[in-house]
Amino acid sequence: MRALPYALFIAAAAIFPMAPVRVFLETPNERTMGTAFKIFFFHVPMAWIFMLLAVVCGVAAGIELRRRSRRAAAVARASAEVSFLCGAGVLLTGPIWGNATWGEPWTGDARQMTTALLWLVVASYLLVRQYGGPSSRRLAAGLAIFGAVDVPIIYYAVKIWKTLHPTTDVVTTLPPSMRAALWPALCALLLVSLGLVIVRTRQVALEADLDEAWVELDRQAQGVTA
Amino acid sequence: MRLWRQTWLLTRSDLRQELRDRELVLVAGLFSLLLVAMFAISFTALPAGNNHRVVLPGLLWMSVAFVGVLTLTRIFDREREADTLRALLAAPVDRLAIYLSKAAVTLIILLTSCALLVPGLALLFPELRMIVEQPAAAGLMLVLGSLGFTAVGAVFAAGLATGSGKNVLISVILYPLTTPVLMFDIVATRALLERHPDVWGYVGRLAALDAILLAVGALLFESIVVGVGRTAERRAS
Repeated sequence: MRALPYALFIAAAAIFPMAPVRVFLETPNERTMGTAFKIFFFHVPMAWIFMLLAVVCGVAAGIELRRRSRRAAAVARASAEVSFLCGAGVLLTGPIWGNATWGEPWTGDARQMTTALLWLVVASYLLVRQYGGPSSRRLAAGLAIFGAVDVPIIYYAVKIWKTLHPTTDVVTTLPPSMRAALWPALCALLLVSLGLVIVRTRQVALEADLDEAWVELDRQAQGVTA
Repeated sequence: MRLWRQTWLLTRSDLRQELRDRELVLVAGLFSLLLVAMFAISFTALPAGNNHRVVLPGLLWMSVAFVGVLTLTRIFDREREADTLRALLAAPVDRLAIYLSKAAVTLIILLTSCALLVPGLALLFPELRMIVEQPAAAGLMLVLGSLGFTAVGAVFAAGLATGSGKNVLISVILYPLTTPVLMFDIVATRALLERHPDVWGYVGRLAALDAILLAVGALLFESIVVGVGRTAERRAS
């Protein structure tokens, strides 16, 4: 188990070189969007991982809240941190693609707004967790759960509201050559993200153990002096 | 039945206290008027017509969000100052009843503010007078929009009140979480102002979203405010 993140990183390193080869050399340019479409192969996997980890964070926060599990608390925090990074990637690559396709980096489109919103929820979870003190851990967990509830709302926002964004079933409508280019990027990014979540989970759990050991030592020292 | 009776008793107690000192209504009402005045300064130069129809829903629901945070903070501050929230949580009262009663009181205060906000904004922006054409849909939209905000807000405001403080976090928590509800509210209000034929469809979506948020809020309230829920406690014992 200890070697799991390293195995994931090695697998990602082996798969990742396939992504640029397939995306830039083997996939033809999209007719209307041209080269700018290539960003899709990194933007979409990051968006999926961002949402997946936001849900993982919400589920882990639910377990933390119900069972007072420190392991679940560590998983929730680690997933939120990696989700925050992926969300930042989505919000950076999205406007670049939008600028080339729609002529505007930010159109106030429903999916853009809701993705930015979910990213803010993840950011506020991390903020509350970091600066809220021990008593606000339950609040942070509740925040993560509500954030996870937001994910399906974001997914269906495109269908409910009028939008410029591609529909949610855009991947299934891609030609086979383009779909084949998506998987290496998705697999590599997913493996790296999972590896990072595992590493951070261990660090956060270790941090909590150290804090507890420090408090215990302090209590024992006070007992000796008394 | 017991739950509804407890909810009613707690709501009545809060409303009775409010009727005595009128603090929440006066503060929220004055704040609503101040917001209208600030919007008047900022937006009356906008050319009328389509511009107003685009801006108005946002102004209305942003005001509700601001007044909502103010009200929620004050409702639970009052409990904290008198240390009555802890007493309430220790009393043999269903915690769900506490959640529902606090949400109900906040909703009433928010709707009172809307009674000032809507005519105030209608005075400045004539396009808002269009909602008089469909009073049932407009009224329901205001109730459902405010309810969605309250359903989320009551959980976190209570959680902050029972914790060690840091009320400043309420804005950081509440605004991102309630913005999806506010987005639905804004879209629905815009549909109403544009005489969209499917206004009731928008109202239905708002009701569905409220039902989800109320259910999640009711499920989480006890765990966030007092820690492990009753079911887990029972399992542990």
